[in-house]
Amino acid sequence: MKKWALLSSVLFLIVLGAAPIPAHAQAKDTLVVALTSHAPTLDPHMHFERVGILLNINMFDSLLHRNTKLEFEPSLATSWKPLSDTQWEFKLRKGVRFHNGETMGAEDVKYSFERVLDQAKKSPQYGNIRAIKEVRVVNPDTVHIITDKPFPLLLERLVFFPIVPKKHVETVGDQAFGTTSPVGTGPWKFVEWKRDQLIRLEAFDQHWRGRPAFKHLVFRAIPEIATQIAEIKTGGVDIIRNVSADIVPELKTHPQAYISSTPILRVHYAELDMRSAPFDKKLVRQAANYAVDKQTIIQKMMGGLGRQVATTVQPLAFGFDPEVKPYPYDPKKAKELLAQAGYPNGVDVTFHSAFIEFRPVFEAICQMLTEVGIRTTPRMWDPGPAWNKFLQAEGKATNGMYGSWGNYSVFDADAVLHPLYHTEPGGWIGKWYARVEGLDRLIDEGRSSVDQPKRKRVYSQIQQLIREEAPSIFLWTQYDTLAISKKVQYAARGDEWLWLYDAKPGR
Amino acid sequence: MLTLVARRIVRLLVVLAGVSLVTFAILHVSGDPVSLMMPEAPEADRAVLRQSMGFNDALAVQFGRFVWNLARGDFGHSFFHREPALPLVLARMPTTLLLTVLAMGLSLLIAVPIGILSAVRRNSVFDHGATFVVFLGTSMPVFWTGIMLILLFAVQLRVLPVSGWESWAALVLPALTLATFSTPLLLRIVRSSMLDVINLDYVRTARAKGVSEWLVICHHALVNAALPLVTVAGLQFGLALSGAIITETVFAVPGVGRLIVGAIRQLDFPIVQAGVFVVALIVVLVNFAVDMLYIYLNPQIRVR
Repeated sequence: MKKWALLSSVLFLIVLGAAPIPAHAQAKDTLVVALTSHAPTLDPHMHFERVGILLNINMFDSLLHRNTKLEFEPSLATSWKPLSDTQWEFKLRKGVRFHNGETMGAEDVKYSFERVLDQAKKSPQYGNIRAIKEVRVVNPDTVHIITDKPFPLLLERLVFFPIVPKKHVETVGDQAFGTTSPVGTGPWKFVEWKRDQLIRLEAFDQHWRGRPAFKHLVFRAIPEIATQIAEIKTGGVDIIRNVSADIVPELKTHPQAYISSTPILRVHYAELDMRSAPFDKKLVRQAANYAVDKQTIIQKMMGGLGRQVATTVQPLAFGFDPEVKPYPYDPKKAKELLAQAGYPNGVDVTFHSAFIEFRPVFEAICQMLTEVGIRTTPRMWDPGPAWNKFLQAEGKATNGMYGSWGNYSVFDADAVLHPLYHTEPGGWIGKWYARVEGLDRLIDEGRSSVDQPKRKRVYSQIQQLIREEAPSIFLWTQYDTLAISKKVQYAARGDEWLWLYDAKPGR
Repeated sequence: MLTLVARRIVRLLVVLAGVSLVTFAILHVSGDPVSLMMPEAPEADRAVLRQSMGFNDALAVQFGRFVWNLARGDFGHSFFHREPALPLVLARMPTTLLLTVLAMGLSLLIAVPIGILSAVRRNSVFDHGATFVVFLGTSMPVFWTGIMLILLFAVQLRVLPVSGWESWAALVLPALTLATFSTPLLLRIVRSSMLDVINLDYVRTARAKGVSEWLVICHHALVNAALPLVTVAGLQFGLALSGAIITETVFAVPGVGRLIVGAIRQLDFPIVQAGVFVVALIVVLVNFAVDMLYIYLNPQIRVR
């Protein structure tokens, strides 16, 4: 008896010693944000995770900033202008300091771009800026960016393109820069990172905008949304993201928290497989669009947190044409079209989705399709394997797929049209599902000019074309819904960013 | 006794071979590993990678290579973290072990006294009550228990933090959650093995000699009843470890379980393989240790 009591207590002590747990009290000037996870690295150029971007924007500045009205605003660049179709000039802000005291200048800007463009570094953001051919230092406060062809999305891409300190990164190396010593010019500087637990930042006194209102900023990783909600109710965290519609009423009236919600660049759609029956027929695709009662789903299932759209191009994006009107809900018309298409007795199809948060919505869509005769079997997948199933293996997930597209926070029609409908091999979803005559050419035309009025005309044409051809069931744009502690004043942004420089102490 | 130990060691090795086979299979039953790694690359690039990673070799050759790498602790690089997988897993192991050991300790603290009392007062209200609670505990999923405990102790009563790993208080709820998972079986084992010994001759003799009831139960009866408890506690340790995977996600505990869950979502196979193998290894070793302890504690086995 004594023997194994001793044995187990020794084992216990070994384990205790191996995992020290310091006590830590939360100070009042601390802002705590819950994220579902942390990115693999703090290096802003070496990942493409939303959770990492949300952190990085608070530690690093880019050349441009987007204000709460979603307009471009000077940041590290004070002004910019195109010198030609393929060359832009940026004037840099003077006297900006990195967290380690070094001065930021044109060489750092050049280095930052070259770092991502260096294919050996395998930056996942390479594709975003690969149109940039060269960054030329004109003088310490001026750079020229030269693209290999007209690149209308350049300014959009520069809103999240963090500038890193050349000398520092070269000294410490990429590995340390991403884990223990990230240095930027942003409002907060790095303190510590406990993986899967928390990332602690501290206000940077010498930031060119002035000090942020909160001295400490903590990003906690809490995978479970139910746990996040419990945390905000008890004051353990101050901001949580992606609050679902069913929780909203409860948090709206909570003594500790409030809700802030805004439409974002995330559009919901059901991509239709145009390669095979029955969605190879235009009439069937149109019938599917008439069959879904979007307004009812938005009101009854999404708590009103959605806005119906005519196509996948959203009102917030450049190129949106308000003249293109949504398909109304018209089940009778849907049945007629289906009969005209040669399916008077209906047809059986399968739809796929990995969009777990919206499972009930997915099932409602399938049910509505079934009611008009497009008898739809819903198949729900785990997100990981689904990616493989939908986007590889020759896109075998016929006949349709319900999902959403977030535009990478790029406010331009191209950011949704190219991935969803362009059929080139490098494309995303479109290469498997969409087959609209002439659409590839129009999308290419839209992305290869910096003449904005001309681009606008092209996108109007595209929206009319896809509304008619209906390569997807066009649904709605999503809202981003934050729950925020009453001790903090902040509002959700249309680009889903958490720009916490704007956060102020509450009443 | 030596043959007994030898036999256990052979069994240990067979189980480990099985575990490595299953771990190896994880990658290959999940689809084409190369298209998982490079979802957007042209087929030509994938072919190059397939060749360079040796996926074109016969499965047996690949398995041999896997075992050889495994023996050197090389599970490859995490796709997501871009770092070697094994150190990532090992760095999180102490947290998970601490949680599991705490939960097992808590389980024993609850199960032993209640189990004894249930046996001593067989068929009393207390006994029936304990049986009911056991039944309840067995039927609740860990996930649900966790969230209910959060709602009660953190949101309503506000006595404990909701989640995290920054203070000792934060350990209580996850440990309790895990304990509700492993306690019921232990409690039943204590109760039934106590019942087995409590009416044996030597206990009756002790009583007849005038030894106090308390001493009879704790010294004479419990020591003998503890043998099955050791075995079952070993098995329960493995179960608790698997329960920790979900518990860690609910309570945002930065352990191996959460790492594995995240890796499954991201199809990060090196992490899944390293994680599964390390956890399985620990379970196997714990059970081996329990077997040894059992042999050591039980004179009958030693004589035979």
